[in-house]
Amino acid sequence: MSYVDTTATVINPRARRRRILRRRFLRRPLAVIGLVVALTFIVAAILAPWVAPYTVQQYDYNALLAHSSSKHILGTDELGRDVFSRIVWGARASIEAGVLATLLAMAVAVPVGIVAGYYRGWIDAAIARLTDVLLAFPFLIVAVGLAAILGPSLTNATIALGIGAAPALIRVARGEALALREEDYVRAAIANGASDVRILVRHVLPNMLSTLIVQATVAIPAAIIGEAVLSFLGLGVQPPTPSWGVMLADAQSYLSQAPRLAVYPGVAIFLCSLSFNLLGDGLRDVLDPRTTR
Amino acid sequence: MGGFLLRKAGAALVVVFLSSIVVFVGVRALPGDPALALGGENRDPAVMAAIRHSYGLDRPLPVQYLKWAGKAVRGDLGLDARQLSVAHTIVTRIPITLELAFLSILLGSVIGVVAGVIAAVRRGKASDHTATTFALVGLSLPHFWLGLLMIILFAVDLHWLPATGYVSFHAHPLQNLEHMVMPAIVLGTGLSAVLMRQTRSSMLTSLNADYVRTARAKGLPEIVVVTKHALRNSLITVTTVVGLQLGALISGAVITEQIFVIPGFGRLTLEAVNQRDYTLLQGVVLVAATGYVVVNLLVDVVYSLLNPRIRVSGKPA
Repeated sequence: MSYVDTTATVINPRARRRRILRRRFLRRPLAVIGLVVALTFIVAAILAPWVAPYTVQQYDYNALLAHSSSKHILGTDELGRDVFSRIVWGARASIEAGVLATLLAMAVAVPVGIVAGYYRGWIDAAIARLTDVLLAFPFLIVAVGLAAILGPSLTNATIALGIGAAPALIRVARGEALALREEDYVRAAIANGASDVRILVRHVLPNMLSTLIVQATVAIPAAIIGEAVLSFLGLGVQPPTPSWGVMLADAQSYLSQAPRLAVYPGVAIFLCSLSFNLLGDGLRDVLDPRTTR
Repeated sequence: MGGFLLRKAGAALVVVFLSSIVVFVGVRALPGDPALALGGENRDPAVMAAIRHSYGLDRPLPVQYLKWAGKAVRGDLGLDARQLSVAHTIVTRIPITLELAFLSILLGSVIGVVAGVIAAVRRGKASDHTATTFALVGLSLPHFWLGLLMIILFAVDLHWLPATGYVSFHAHPLQNLEHMVMPAIVLGTGLSAVLMRQTRSSMLTSLNADYVRTARAKGLPEIVVVTKHALRNSLITVTTVVGLQLGALISGAVITEQIFVIPGFGRLTLEAVNQRDYTLLQGVVLVAATGYVVVNLLVDVVYSLLNPRIRVSGKPA
């Protein structure tokens, strides 16, 4: 095969594959709904100042614990703050924690996992033990420790969530690298004298990308729920900054007077994580290597 | 089999050792000088030095670690801020959390495994779709929120169950269960969703295996084929998943006990942070990490009992 031929066939199948994948994705209504809802949350988080009818610290002392009305679509809380606005602002903390914790976990886990799976031997065994150590500290325990050392904040909660998500991702990346190192194109690259870094970055990493994307869409909802848990416990976002977890913690004191305060933020958490889970399930079906290769 | 277990136990020991170093270093990274806290009002350098000396704080870190770890191995986790034995506090709190964990695992695995088996056997039918949908909802649901909703419905509106609190099983078995029902459901549903998915996928694999075809060819009733042949093998994967879910269960216990005001190990963890009681925190985290490793070692033992291939070859399949 001549040089010109290969470039031509490299470009075309990629475009073709993308087209097939897109068509396959669009044929799954649940996945499309997941994508749309997830994007809605992301856009609402970014455009919160324009989407939310009120600012975070706007108190309406004439409408404490008010029911839904044209002025306050979802009513107000015990300080007369607009619940809908706080949910919109709260999306920022959730999306930020969900995305950043997942990126952090990926940044740590993918290189470590690839090295373990590609080189095997003692380094693989050492990384396996370290992963076991990480697993022995559940994310809430890590979060508790970080809150004690560095003080409670959204950043520290995000770090704890990232550490918590890393072990599973290390195992996935390791498994993929283990399988990919046996592929013919990797052997061919080795025979060509390519450096290890080049093989890992150019051949191993790109071929595990679809698996990693699916893993990310599963890790994001877990981190979103995790952020809510930590903020609920006072280990994450600190009031008065709005967060769905903080809103639920505040609502606990008004369960009999205003149970709706405990309902809306939970619905937001549920819909947000469900949308990412639906998207993840759809992507898994679409990108499943057994059906595309 | 012996070799396999020895190797697993060795690895577990290494993990516990490394975890104890993480805990030790983590607590040393905490802000504030313990000598200052112990000295109280007295800031005299000579007194400070004497306190540091008597607590061994002037010794090199590895020496301090060995002293601390040596005591911890013998069950001495030191005294907390109120001068109470940390080990004793933990031992009194753990049974409560173990009861909660036991009920949740029981509930979660019964629901998860049964739903998973039904979904796999009736693949593509309505019951499969219902079960997979519920599993997806279960995975997306923040369980502590489910707890709040249950309190609103069953405690505030219907007055069927107490909203919060704890009564020991010895004092009043029925009241104990009344207090434990909602927490166990909250903690168990998350587990059941994960287990349902896992059981379903491993049952789908088992049901297509040769030995299942053989069993069917022998003319065995379908119920026997499903429960005795396919399910038995699928349970191997399920056991591992329960072990791996233990971390989620520990995290879940912390928040569940917080919502339902249950004085267990999880609440103790939060108390330690909120009171900035570092000796207590150190003990709690060490016990949690060790517990995780020990349970997963037990899971490996059960795994090898369920799967003869591991016993024979000495290697995990």
